[in-house]
Formats: sequence, structure tokens, C-alpha cells
Amino acid sequence: MTSQCPFLIYRKEHGEQSFDTARAFCTATDSFVQPMRADICNNRYGLTHTTDCEIYDAHQSTLDTDVSGAETE
Amino acid sequence: MTYQSYLDGEPVIITAAVTGGVHGKEANPNLPETPAEIAAAARACEGAGASIVHLHARKENGERAFSTDAFQEVTDAVRSATDNIIIQHSTGGTAAPDELRVEPLLTDPAPEMASLDMGPLNRYGKLTSENTRSLVDRLHEVMLDRNIKPELEVFNGGHLNESLRIIDDLVAPPYINLVFGGGTTTIPHPRNLCTLADTLPPGTEFNILGFGPHQLPMTTQGLLLGGHVRVGLEDNLYYRRGELATSNEQLVKRAVRIATELGRPIATPKQARSILGLK
Ligand code: SF4
Repeated sequence: MTSQCPFLIYRKEHGEQSFDTARAFCTATDSFVQPMRADICNNRYGLTHTTDCEIYDAHQSTLDTDVSGAETE
Repeated sequence: MTYQSYLDGEPVIITAAVTGGVHGKEANPNLPETPAEIAAAARACEGAGASIVHLHARKENGERAFSTDAFQEVTDAVRSATDNIIIQHSTGGTAAPDELRVEPLLTDPAPEMASLDMGPLNRYGKLTSENTRSLVDRLHEVMLDRNIKPELEVFNGGHLNESLRIIDDLVAPPYINLVFGGGTTTIPHPRNLCTLADTLPPGTEFNILGFGPHQLPMTTQGLLLGGHVRVGLEDNLYYRRGELATSNEQLVKRAVRIATELGRPIATPKQARSILGLK
């Protein structure tokens, strides 16, 4: 299990949105993540992106596992 | 608390839920997240007429924080910035371990009030905030030990049953927050509000929380039934359809305006303490 979802990045800007501090951003949906959902993205509190995120379920087939190996468990 | 309470012009307690932990600045850039921003919002809401501020703690990037240290920082900032407002800490925390759920109650000094979720609440596609009876009892025990008044969060009618389970252990009067919105919360409809208000245990003080577009109509109806109201960006990001709220204060001011027009005076923090039996 990786320490966070492979779709997760942290960024300060996207489109017209900008923040002082980098925030959780989901590259699967191309949008900033709600703070509560960010705990799933970061695999906190026993949550995991593979079991607890329906967005991950819908987009996992788009991951390039051969290149990144990010989904090796 | 009934229509007669409204006719009698009993004061209404306004709670400002200024930040929450579900959404953040990605949803409304005016939502306060840092301790300094939350403190400034609390001060503005107190000035506008709120007598309780409901607090969550966050990390610098807006994500949820549950530790006593994180709550200490935000509660200290709010205490410094406000005059006499009642501080209420959230003990909510979908998916957070029970040990962490206790932490917001352990600040020095203890908050005067804290939320107590009375049962399960679904989130997203796969999460449930379980709020087991065991956790409810554990949190309530700490609240009793530390002289913290619980606000019972009744997300739906079943949670009113759950409230009855501990009602005899509560310091009078019981304070129940009736929650209306989507998902696991009660369907927002005037009849549902009437029914729940009618079935509250005798002597209960109740508050109305409506999510999103239901904040305005549900709280207004609550005023007519003698209830208290909670507003703020935690529950509602918009002032009206398609128009983001500019601040928590803006939502408090609207609640004050409506209550005043309806003949309900706004409770000062001192009056709120008296109504809720706070020491
Ligand atoms: S856990 Fe879900 S929301 Fe978070 S980055 Fe992964 S796919 Fe996106």
C-alpha cells in the first residue's frame, strides 16, 4: 500500500482558485479535494484510497501502473 | 419550547458554526480556517448577535485536526478575540479514532459546551461516522467530568430515540440540535420539523440546523416554534442561490434580522448561559 493515493498532489493554484498554502488536489477529478476527503487520499485514520474512495474506484483503470508502479501492493 | 414560546417573545440563542471540517476554502474562499481567521470570524459573529461559537480545528492546509493542541490553539485565539461568547467544541470526526474524538474536550480551560453526535451519519460513497453508543457514553462521561454542556446532535429521528437513552443523565435542560439536510439527516420539510419538535422530551431546549439551502427556511420555522438557531459557513456556503456568502457574520446578521422582525429578542451570551443552565 502506498502512503497516499496516486491521484493526489498538493498545489496552490488551479484555474481561478489560488491559496496561500498548498492543498490536496485530485488529478482524477481535476479539482481540489474537500478537507474531510483528504484524509482518505492520505490514507489517514485507517482509511485507504483503495477501499474508501469511490472516485478512486471509478478512475483506477486510468492509472499507468506499468510506468509508475504506484499501485504495487 | 413551543409556539407559545414564540408568542411569549422568548430570547433566541444564535450559534455561529464558522468553519467545520468537511469543506473549506476550496468551496468558499471566505470560510475561515486558520486560528486567526476563525477568531476574527467569531469576534464578528459575536458583534452581530451570536452567543455561541461552534469550533473545529484545522491544519494550515485546511485539513482536519482533532488534537487537544490544535483545539487549544484555536480556542485560545477565539477567547482572546471575543468578549463573552460561549465556546462550543465539536467532537465530530468521521473516521477519526475514538481516542482522537475525546481530545477537543481536554483543552485548558474546558469548553463550556461541546457537540455530541447521537448516531451514525453517512459521508461520501463509502464512509460512515459511526458514533457508537460506546463512544457517545465515553464522550458524555468526559463532558460530565469537565462540566461541559453537551449539545445533542440529532441527525434524524432515530437519534432522538438515542437521546432518550441518556436523557436522565443530562444536566437540565437537555439541549438538542435538530439537523435537516440530505443523506442520513432528516428530510428538510416543515412537517418534519413540527413532528420532531413535538416529540422532544419535556423541558428540552432545541436548536435548528439546516444544511445548504435549508438553512434559511428551517431556522426561520424554528424561530416560530420557539427554537434556537445555528447558522454559518460550516453548514451553508451560500447567501442565496448562486451567491456565495461573504462571511459568517453575514449569515448571523440575517438570522438576527429575521428573529427581530418576528419578535424574538436575541439572547446575549449571559442570557444564553441562563437558558442552557451553564454555570
Ligand atoms: S483518494 Fe479519491 S479523491 Fe483522493 S486523490 Fe485519490 S481518487 Fe482523488
